Amino acid sequence: MADIVAAFGVPHTPNFPALVAKQGSDCKTARLYAEVARHLREASPDVLVIYTDDHFNTFFFDNFPIFAVGIADQICGPNDQTAMPSYRVAGEAALASHVRARAIAGGFDLSLVQEFEVDHSIMVPLHFLTPDMQIPIVPLFINGLAPPLPSAQRCLALGRAVGDAIADWPANKRVAVVGSGSFSLEIGGPKIPLGERAGTPDPQWARHVQDHLEHGRVDDLVEESTPARLARAGNIGGELLNWIAMLGVVGDRKPNFIAPEIEHGHAYAAWRLD
Amino acid sequence: MSIYAVNKLCREALRDVTFRAALKRDPQAAIVSLPLTDEERAALLRGDVAWLYARGAHPFLLAYLTRWELFGLTVPLYSERIRTAHEPVHTE
Repeated sequence: MADIVAAFGVPHTPNFPALVAKQGSDCKTARLYAEVARHLREASPDVLVIYTDDHFNTFFFDNFPIFAVGIADQICGPNDQTAMPSYRVAGEAALASHVRARAIAGGFDLSLVQEFEVDHSIMVPLHFLTPDMQIPIVPLFINGLAPPLPSAQRCLALGRAVGDAIADWPANKRVAVVGSGSFSLEIGGPKIPLGERAGTPDPQWARHVQDHLEHGRVDDLVEESTPARLARAGNIGGELLNWIAMLGVVGDRKPNFIAPEIEHGHAYAAWRLD
Repeated sequence: MSIYAVNKLCREALRDVTFRAALKRDPQAAIVSLPLTDEERAALLRGDVAWLYARGAHPFLLAYLTRWELFGLTVPLYSERIRTAHEPVHTE
């Protein structure tokens, strides 16, 4: 049976690859990703299960799942003109199929996605965490951007069901779970600052979320993360749901590492579960 | 429902360089064949992102328009206008 050996939370800000290329490996963003990458190397996973929200690139409003799993042998991206290298990463289709079957049996009707590309929300984390693209992935998509969003309770329960499915996967593999996204971010909406395309409208909420994570208060976090509260944190605030789903394998454990970038409304974290 | 076409227009502006160039050159002609209401067409042509937002156009997609200053939307102008927008009613 497979082992869940670690969980990670990171941002996927699309300009970070270009920023770090310009500012170098000593800049704050590079150092924070590097610390998560160090924990990832030490946990030595064979597969990464990644919760993220597609930004209307893999999906569009013609066909828009609330929850979906990508089942493919090869996954390319980014497909949204993010200024970063193009990558091809292996998909762990066997685990993805197993997770889908178990999740559906458990009441989570995951949409099936095959022959797809992914956007910056998966490729920016991989660019920093596994730049050699040597670890196969299972992408799990959660609608965090287009209301109505799934509830935080539902996302945590999904994360637990996926965790049970991973633990039940009859393969001698080490699996890590990643949640990616912001806690407070507004892009192109009424809460942006004058003269900007984007902003962090609710840094207090980002700090509050980070505090909950730091102290393992997952139930408080989920209870407080109502649709209205997430919306107040910005129109990208629903990305917290990716983190909450990831917490399904963490429970109330405290992270081995957590650090905020409050000015950007997000954080970096690592939980060692092995 | 045709706010779908507004969202799609924004996405195609990102993906289709020919369409993007056409929008830049002659926006009225570039959108003439799209399935938009007269009100949506007029709002696009006057760069009224607050009106479009209030009717359900997604801000992440609308903000693409500033990358190439389509419909005259510079970042300062876009931000000034969107900050006046009312929240959409999500009726689907």
